[in-house]
Amino acid sequence: MKFVLRYSPWTIFAIAAVFFLMPLFSTAEFSLSIRRGVYSLDAYESVFLDPEFAASFFYSLIIAVLTIIFGTIIVVPMAYYVRLRLQWLRPVVEIFVMLPMVVPPIVLVFGYLRLFSSSSVLPLADSSAGASILLICGCTTLSLPYLYRTIDTGLQTIDVQTLTDAAGILGARPFATIRLVIFPNILPSVMAGAFLTFAVVMGEFVIASLLTRPAFGTYIQKIGMSKAYEPAALTILSFAITWGALAMMNVMTRFSRRAG
Amino acid sequence: MKPQSTHGKPGASGIRAGLTGTSSLKSIDWPALLATAPFFMFAIVMMVMPTAALLATAFVDKQGGFTLANFAEIVTPEVADAFMASAKISAVTAVLGTVLGLVLALTVGRRMTSQKVKAAVMSFCGVASHFSGIPLAFAFIATLGRLGLVTVFLRKAFGIDIYAAGFELASFSGLTLTYLFFQVPIAFTIIMPAVDRLSTQTREAAEMLGATATQYWRFVGLPILWPTILGALALLFANAFGGVATAYALTGTAVNVIPILLYAQIRGDVLHNEQLGAVLALLMVFVMTVTISLYLMLRVRSERWMK
Amino acid sequence: MIRKRMTAYLTVGVACLAMPFGAHADEMDDLVAAAKAEGQLTVIALGHDWCGYAALIQGFKDKYGLTVNELSPTAGSGEELATIKANIGNNGSQAPDVIDVGLVFGPIAQKEGLLQSYKVQTWDEIPATAKDPEGQWYGDYYGVLSFVVNKDVISKSPADWADLLGPAYRKSVSLPADPRTANNSILSVYAAGLAAGAQPGAAAARAGLEFYRQLKDSGNLVPGFGSAASIAKGETPITTRWDSNGITYAENFKGNPPLDTIVPASLTVAGVYAQAISKYAPHPHAAKLWMEYLYSDEGQLGYLKGLCHPIRIDAMRKSGKIADDMLTKLPATGNNLVFPELSHLVEAGEVIAKEWTSTVGAGSK
Repeated sequence: MKFVLRYSPWTIFAIAAVFFLMPLFSTAEFSLSIRRGVYSLDAYESVFLDPEFAASFFYSLIIAVLTIIFGTIIVVPMAYYVRLRLQWLRPVVEIFVMLPMVVPPIVLVFGYLRLFSSSSVLPLADSSAGASILLICGCTTLSLPYLYRTIDTGLQTIDVQTLTDAAGILGARPFATIRLVIFPNILPSVMAGAFLTFAVVMGEFVIASLLTRPAFGTYIQKIGMSKAYEPAALTILSFAITWGALAMMNVMTRFSRRAG
Repeated sequence: MKPQSTHGKPGASGIRAGLTGTSSLKSIDWPALLATAPFFMFAIVMMVMPTAALLATAFVDKQGGFTLANFAEIVTPEVADAFMASAKISAVTAVLGTVLGLVLALTVGRRMTSQKVKAAVMSFCGVASHFSGIPLAFAFIATLGRLGLVTVFLRKAFGIDIYAAGFELASFSGLTLTYLFFQVPIAFTIIMPAVDRLSTQTREAAEMLGATATQYWRFVGLPILWPTILGALALLFANAFGGVATAYALTGTAVNVIPILLYAQIRGDVLHNEQLGAVLALLMVFVMTVTISLYLMLRVRSERWMK
Repeated sequence: MIRKRMTAYLTVGVACLAMPFGAHADEMDDLVAAAKAEGQLTVIALGHDWCGYAALIQGFKDKYGLTVNELSPTAGSGEELATIKANIGNNGSQAPDVIDVGLVFGPIAQKEGLLQSYKVQTWDEIPATAKDPEGQWYGDYYGVLSFVVNKDVISKSPADWADLLGPAYRKSVSLPADPRTANNSILSVYAAGLAAGAQPGAAAARAGLEFYRQLKDSGNLVPGFGSAASIAKGETPITTRWDSNGITYAENFKGNPPLDTIVPASLTVAGVYAQAISKYAPHPHAAKLWMEYLYSDEGQLGYLKGLCHPIRIDAMRKSGKIADDMLTKLPATGNNLVFPELSHLVEAGEVIAKEWTSTVGAGSK
């Protein structure tokens, strides 16, 4: 740790910035080269003019938000109680949340199609809304490792026991405790998990394409099949828009914390 | 896994921990368990059941009868090589990713005071953490490929031809470099909130007590961060272990990782052998379980040390 | 006369019993009516820039007013079969009605019991070597394996397989995809073997593997796969691909970079693709109507516009439906074009899939 402290933070930051921005810069340079000899925005124009671009982007955006909400609702109470009173469940939970990292999404979606087919008890696959629900479930599953890890980190850094006791003394019931005491304190961690989830959903395409959902990831794959410059433009666009959306989420959280 | 480290010790969690330490039915904390029900119901229906069908196939032969013969099929040089390749790249990128992510978190979180920079980096890392597969591979090809921007720049400006010197992007080292693009941001995102807490709580206290920087880190900073660092290591390892799209897109068939073999079997192509695919999947789950168990053991020990 | 089988259907809510058909016109009318009653068709793996499917799908929608659900445009042949299997018992819009697969996968699907028979009206104009006598699967178009070359990076294009080994093509040659699983890559290796003079079947497969081994040892082989973007960027400036891919890319790139699509002079193979109807299709009449559409003059000409060679090309040229000037965009072929036999393809596929890793891939030293 000591040697790190010797260098100016800005040097370290600069090196990191070069490593991360260079590949993006190269992709951007390529996307601008669609016209021979000059730089132009033609590739971006052709992407914007495609109605499927906006439609698929907003669809994935909505799925991402719903996934974040659903994921947070099921993970926060579980992580809280496991940390507080059910430590023996911890190994089980850890293995469960790591499972999505080694299970290929195609196995998940084939499983869903078998479990929720038209001839089953819960024929979610039969309707468009049902298929979207399956997509949300699939995306939640894929985001679980990140959501749990960040929320657990957050719970670890606050003294959950003291906070709970204090809330109990003040007469709060368990649900209110979670909602009004624990949750605001781990909000930065929840936001971190939300960021990671957002990125997962925006890039997901295997589950979406096998459920015939018009997602952004599928759209990007389709464009890449026979075009060279437009996919690069799409990459830059989706990176920039996602970054902007997350930055806004960040700002809004800061704002509400200050106001609240 | 009984929390014996807190059993009987004075402290806030003392009494309750003692109660849940035993496993008899009466002392199981039913209300708390109920609160975790939504998660487990979701996990079982949406995750375990779909996978169970696949994993069960590992124990079934082509006619449908029970067998253990499928496991013999993975004892081949190809699978062994793929396993080593997967393990190597996962371990290397997990360690490098965590270290670099930690450095970045400490730099941005403690030594730079600008909130705007921190917010920008946090959101950037959120996006970069899942920038993988074909777009990422292409981004690196566009930078360090045969006609990549940096390659050409180095050749034209300094006369350095990295390819003549033996560099190859579609190799193990090129893949490691590419993997770091998403591994470091994940580590950063995980470690950053912990570093935040570190700053506010303990720095002043340590300074008041006259600790030097080294003492601070050895006795306060690192122990507090250690569980989070372990968590990041485990997550990064799992992330790299299960990933296939980036390896495929960057190195084609030059580097064989286990998920590539798995995909070939499951997707039903020419090689189609569902049983082998299932065994490979089971192997991956086993590796993950071992990794998690190791992580948990290390973490319990470090939390004990902290108290 | 068209012979049809009576088949039973599993779908709930869609009453489908095959009716004995009378004359052509009546049959078609009944089929159209039944298809319209079903209202939709689910297809899989039909990329819009592949063989003109964008126009074909739109034409089908316009002509009959059906909705078309498009699954997984980037799926490979094997994945199409896996998707049928995963959807057994499911009648939602995720279950494929029809598949378009590499020829080798027709018999594979047939053996696994995934298909139902159907013979289109123009059945007799499909060459016998490209269809199943029972009507389970039938070729729809073929592509000619070519070298797609980035002219900005490569000044002198290779004319034949042997040229690829030359010193001018250091780090330039690549396959389009994974030769252990993808049709176009398996055929690239096979064609190289045939061109080297080996006997068809397993021998040519091994000769092909040897050829790619030499490419690797001489430093000419690029490990990555040749996609449109990597060809344009110059990372994989010489890639073996179907001629339709090469010409489509060239049109999309608009000369930036300029591309050459070259048919190897000594020998190359035709990659035949086949259509089939899933046994578990939720919309069997729509599926049959889709087949009639694809194999009609309109459909076959649609494939030609998409730069693929329609399977009825010989018959249509004889009857004047395809004039020579329609073929100008496609590269010329003569005696160098080989249509591999199905049994040889199956053999070759297995050999290449099993031995690639140890000969050329990650396992080779």
